[in-house]
Amino acid sequence: MLEIKNLHVSVEEDNKAILNGVDLTVNAGEVHAIMGPNGSGKSTLSYVLAGKDGYEVTDGSVTYMGKDLLEMAPDERAAEGVFLAFQYPIEIPGVATMQFLKVALNSQRLARGEGELSTPDFMRLVKSRAETLKVNQDMLKRPVNVGFSGGEKKRAEILQMAVLEPSLCILDETDSGLDIDALRVVAEGVNALRSPDRAMVVITHYQRLLDYIVPDHVHVLSKGRIVKSGGKELAQELEKDGYANYSDEAA
Amino acid sequence: MADVETIERVREIEVDKYKYGFETELESELAPKGLNEDIVKFISAKKGEPDWMLEWRLEAYARWRQMTEPTWAKVDYPKIDFEDLYYYAAPKVQGDGPKSLDEVDPELLRTYEKLGIPLKEQEVLAGVEGARVAVDAVFDSVSVVTTFKEELAKAGVIFCPISEAVREHPELVKKYLGSVVPQADNFYAALNSAVFSDGSFVYIPEGVRCPMELSTYFRINEKNTGQFERTLIIADKGSYVSYLEGCTAPMRDENQLHAAVVELVALDDAEIKYSTVQNWYPGDSEGKGGIYNFVTKRADCRGHHSKVSWTQVETGSAITWKYPSCILRGDNSRGEFYSIAISNGKQQVDSGTKMIHLGKNSSSRIISKGIAAGRSDNTYRGLVSAHRKATNARNFTQCDSLLIGDRCGAHTVPYIEAKTSTAQFEHEATTSKISDDQMFYCQARGLNEEEAVALIVNGFVRDVIQQLPMEFMAETQRLIGISLEGSVG
Amino acid sequence: MAIATQKTAAETAYLEGFDAGGDWLAAERQKGFDAFAVTGLPHRRMEDWKWTDLRQLIGKAYPPAKGGAVGDIDALAAKCPLKDIARGHLTFVNGEYDAGRSQLPASGDVEVTALSTASSALPIGETAADPIDGLNRAYVTDGAFIRIKAGSNADAPLELVFINSSRAEATFTTRNVIELEDGASATVFETHMGGHDAYVSNSVTEVRLGNGARLDRVKLQMEGAASYHLSNLKADLGAEAKLQDFTLTMGSATTRQQGFITFNGEHTDATVSGAFLLNRKQHNDTRLVVDHKVPNCVSRELFKCVMDDEARGIFQGKVIVRQDAQKTDGKQSSHALLLSPTAEFDAKPELEIYADDVVCGHGATSGDLDENLLFYLRARGIPEKKAKSMLISAFVAESFDDVDNEAVRDVLKDLADSWLAAR
Repeated sequence: MLEIKNLHVSVEEDNKAILNGVDLTVNAGEVHAIMGPNGSGKSTLSYVLAGKDGYEVTDGSVTYMGKDLLEMAPDERAAEGVFLAFQYPIEIPGVATMQFLKVALNSQRLARGEGELSTPDFMRLVKSRAETLKVNQDMLKRPVNVGFSGGEKKRAEILQMAVLEPSLCILDETDSGLDIDALRVVAEGVNALRSPDRAMVVITHYQRLLDYIVPDHVHVLSKGRIVKSGGKELAQELEKDGYANYSDEAA
Repeated sequence: MADVETIERVREIEVDKYKYGFETELESELAPKGLNEDIVKFISAKKGEPDWMLEWRLEAYARWRQMTEPTWAKVDYPKIDFEDLYYYAAPKVQGDGPKSLDEVDPELLRTYEKLGIPLKEQEVLAGVEGARVAVDAVFDSVSVVTTFKEELAKAGVIFCPISEAVREHPELVKKYLGSVVPQADNFYAALNSAVFSDGSFVYIPEGVRCPMELSTYFRINEKNTGQFERTLIIADKGSYVSYLEGCTAPMRDENQLHAAVVELVALDDAEIKYSTVQNWYPGDSEGKGGIYNFVTKRADCRGHHSKVSWTQVETGSAITWKYPSCILRGDNSRGEFYSIAISNGKQQVDSGTKMIHLGKNSSSRIISKGIAAGRSDNTYRGLVSAHRKATNARNFTQCDSLLIGDRCGAHTVPYIEAKTSTAQFEHEATTSKISDDQMFYCQARGLNEEEAVALIVNGFVRDVIQQLPMEFMAETQRLIGISLEGSVG
Repeated sequence: MAIATQKTAAETAYLEGFDAGGDWLAAERQKGFDAFAVTGLPHRRMEDWKWTDLRQLIGKAYPPAKGGAVGDIDALAAKCPLKDIARGHLTFVNGEYDAGRSQLPASGDVEVTALSTASSALPIGETAADPIDGLNRAYVTDGAFIRIKAGSNADAPLELVFINSSRAEATFTTRNVIELEDGASATVFETHMGGHDAYVSNSVTEVRLGNGARLDRVKLQMEGAASYHLSNLKADLGAEAKLQDFTLTMGSATTRQQGFITFNGEHTDATVSGAFLLNRKQHNDTRLVVDHKVPNCVSRELFKCVMDDEARGIFQGKVIVRQDAQKTDGKQSSHALLLSPTAEFDAKPELEIYADDVVCGHGATSGDLDENLLFYLRARGIPEKKAKSMLISAFVAESFDDVDNEAVRDVLKDLADSWLAAR
């Protein structure tokens, strides 16, 4: 589904190289965890996949469902089924969460040549998804992420994912800022979305999240490269020994 | 801990109201009262100036004659009789004047000693361990001594009275004088251009980080004199300098005029940090006497990535009319303005800054803290503008005013002009009083009312105090206490 | 302040076109003319007019006129967005009362008349030393007089409609008086519409609120694209009163709107807010002076300004707190969104404070759309154009929250959305 080859990325502002040749293949139905220390390039990878401005791809390619992902605008990627759960979800004053979700879903459906969802159908869909994630109706009426607690923001991200039903889910440090109960709710929401035609890339600093979202593959990102890949046991190893070994290896 | 120190300091100084208010008994040489071409020629001759400098002055004088005093500031004072002032006053010296510190009139040295300004090179500023500061001391119209000149010269730094620079470094003076504040920029700048007597000149060569803080200490002593000093600082490519300026004057019943011009030029990658503690005599609590402080200060961030930071603590003067500004001409240049303005008694302050964004990605930051007490008026007046080509200009402005008592006024008059959509401007202003809860809390812990006010005000201005060089921090905290005396109860 | 030595064509037309008339307004007109003869048209050397130099902007003569409308007035009347929400209407076409397009409320507690139909003199307020007011008083032809008796209410909204359309360059001048006696309340809409040809519209509204009175006023400025719109709101507020005022500015080439709000009684609230939707070379200068003369009052100002193309928006707001006005709570915000690199926003948010126990503040921001917000929306699949519209619409709509009437808010949202859709 997703094939990243020799991806080199630098920040446009100061030309600083962040990713130095990332290779990664993700197939449908798989869950990949990308772990790494701060500054290893994890968030940059997620932003580049989602199409944020300010990054320059200096080499390599990203192919998604056989198409050149890097050629697409952010909204085209979303319509094609790429979803990024933001580490720091953005607050949008004045735009109600419900309205936002509806516009997003219908924009994607239109781009895919599907018809718009009627308002009652949409309401039913959101309501059922919201219940699973313990998101109350009041939150849906409030402006997107405005005044939400850290936990509420992350749950709202997963709710969006559940409503938009993407093919490739990228979760950027979804566990950060969550207490154990909130983490469990979020993980359950994510697990409920696991399916044979959906792939997930879970980016995290800590192994903790992976106790709840069990990955098929674990990769260690250090200094902009994947320096080691393995099964879920690799995450436990990291938890025990820390990242020190990998930083040296890459240096 | 710091708080306790502040209180003690406030207690210590409770006895001396304006401690710099003494007068020095010196014989002076004065030019006749009034202003005409002959006076301009007299000043120029006294300074041994070349013809081009005299012509420049006369041109400014001619322009000034055609100008009228500005009236837009929120200050009120009787019309100044410009014919009833002395435009030149200098302590009388034998022969050519002092060659070294040893030759300086001991009475003068004692004056600066009393003010806590070290003019002997082995000394350091009062109370600051190990900090060495080079000082240019300006007494009425002339620079009396400049310390550490030799050591600075080794680094290639020129630090001398501007009158000396006109003679010794004419190429630099010609190139930069008036290039930031043109002769006829405004009424007071034109007057200064015609009659400026002395001031400091600084040139930091390419790539040099000035090895010590530079400082000028201004003192008005003579009666009925105007002080018109002119400062010019040039930071060449990649250089850095931190410059301090202090001012005091004796207590007198008459008002005295101070109309200075300060020009800063920062070339590519250069940085100038300019700090002022202005403590001219503010007049008595009834508004009698005090300095009229009409000052034009402007920096030209001419080079890319250049930076100028103005920090000012304004506690003195009967009237302050002062807007240290930055022309952000270079791409990626940066301007900063940090200000504390305290007014008490019948003082009137109209001060602020201008940040003119011309270069791409230029950024600026303004933090202004105004404190009005007594029957004073305290106005922040500022302009932030981005021209069409100043893409991605950024400004953040925070203006806070504090009122102590219900007979004073605090005003905020900001102008914002965004001529490009990519400029991001953010301006915030608040006006409030010291909360009763804060006062009660402090008093419940044993502070008296004045101590509590000084403590809370010191907290209110903390963001600005932190920008000051070490040498000025302690003095400033102390000054705040003195300035607010009698403001409560 | 003295008039510049050389009079402009516009000034000459005003000075020469004066006719006090023979009706009860004649004395008022003379007062206004005398005031205008001293000031002339304001120019940039006057501090309050530094960004709007009317001497220069009004380049031609627009002699004072009345009536003689041309074009499809019915079509303009039909377009008034609030007409279906209002329950009473007063229509003025080119400064002349149009009885056929008016429908006055029947209640005896509510007195509504056109100035021109009044049989005796009606109370017109004191002259402010202001050029717009001077001009208005000198050339006023008509306007609405609304008086609500003590304790009664006219919550069913009244709509004042001003339609201007003239082939000859002309100035149309109307003046409205809204007087709410103690405990009275009313909702008044002002809709200003106009044709394509150039004209000057000068409209002043005087508001006097008694103790405990409440006025909700909504003004839509949708004048013709080539017009000049000059307008003053002068509101004097009694004790425990409430003023909710909202202005949406979309029309005219050049607009200068001023609000002078004075608190004369304690425990009064005033909210004055608005939105600008400007494009092409539109110029809108809004100036507010909020004067707290007494203690314990609250003032709120919120302006959301959107400028596209080469439009220029200006917000000048001044909050004065007099020495006696302790416990004043005054807040003022102006926020600008510049949609084009050549758009411009200028602001002068001023505080003048003489009382110490107050909480006052202002905030002003200017910039383009936040890239991070835009990316978030696009990452959820919303195309760029739609994402921008959503963000702009949300930005503007924040100011609509100050309007209590939901139906009016919906109209405002629709107006904003259709403006955005036409981008």
